[in-house]
Amino acid sequence: MNDPQKPKRPQTGGTTPLTSDLEARIARAQRERRAEGSERAGEANTMTGWGKGLRLGSEFVAAILVGLGIGWLLDMWLNTTPWLMLVMLMLGFAAGVMNVVRTAAEMNKAANPPTAAQGAPNDLDE
Amino acid sequence: MADPTKVDPIHQFALTDIVPLGEFSFTNSSLFMVLTTGLIGAYLIMSTQKRAMVPNRLQLVSEMLYEFVANMVSDSAGKAGMKFFPFVFSLFMFVLVANLFGMIPFFFTVTSHIIVTFALAMLVFIVVVVYGFWKNGFGFLRLFVPSGVPIYILPLVAVIEVISFLSRPISLSVRLFANILAGHITLKVFAGFIVSMGGLGWFALLTPLPLILTIGITALEFLVAVLQAYVFALLTSMYINDAIHPGH
Repeated sequence: MNDPQKPKRPQTGGTTPLTSDLEARIARAQRERRAEGSERAGEANTMTGWGKGLRLGSEFVAAILVGLGIGWLLDMWLNTTPWLMLVMLMLGFAAGVMNVVRTAAEMNKAANPPTAAQGAPNDLDE
Repeated sequence: MADPTKVDPIHQFALTDIVPLGEFSFTNSSLFMVLTTGLIGAYLIMSTQKRAMVPNRLQLVSEMLYEFVANMVSDSAGKAGMKFFPFVFSLFMFVLVANLFGMIPFFFTVTSHIIVTFALAMLVFIVVVVYGFWKNGFGFLRLFVPSGVPIYILPLVAVIEVISFLSRPISLSVRLFANILAGHITLKVFAGFIVSMGGLGWFALLTPLPLILTIGITALEFLVAVLQAYVFALLTSMYINDAIHPGH
């Protein structure tokens, strides 16, 4: 942060001390704002961390229940008790696993940019 | 509750008729739904009445809520999804305010009944299905046919995809309902410990323990109330994205 300001000081500082002061203030405000932004991103990550587990769990269970329900209804309709229910339970299980995998992939995709953005300001500051 | 040591943590969810009309009774749940929508409407209209260029605190909160949901919708469903912004915003505000109303003592928590959350989730589901077919015609069915799957296992995959799609309203509603229900029961049970331990002689000395836990859980419940509203709205906008752009 010091390096870009040093060459400027002799130019602007000599003419008007007010503008150089303003520049410094803008730089400080920007830095603070950036820090605040990355802080908020981190907060959002922990917030969704709590939600993530619940989301994965409910997606898994819901798919199994739907599979079971569809199978049961088909059985009632076609008089094939318990076979379709068993088949659909298995398929519901597969759908649940797929839900979880898809959700996890989505979360990973969503989680990557913030971590990259969090790394960037640190690099700039040093 | 005649016996002070007897605690009934489920009692808070009981429906009572305020205006009995048989099947269409106006219950305490209806009352709080009306209060929720009334508060949202009144707050948003009053706070944005002045339309000040430099907003005061109330207007700022409205603008922040608006921008928060608008960013969420455009991030997950793109520009075309902004058509559904009023829908997502209404859902978000309703769930948020209903959850937060539930945190006020003696208030009824609308979202702790699965029929309410399921109705909201089915609303989302129906909007997605109807708009998906209206916009894409039968191309909407591409949602169930992932690309790059060999033809001989395609029927199996399609059935799994359909189950996965149908599971959405259930996971959406169960998540919200279960979080709120479990949270409120936990809160009441721990708060009940304070009362029952107080009546057990020497154990009364331990009552600060459940009290501290109750305070902690209350804070957690505020977090859950906001977070679940956020998750509900986020998933709604993601499902709407599927309706606009089917196919993976």
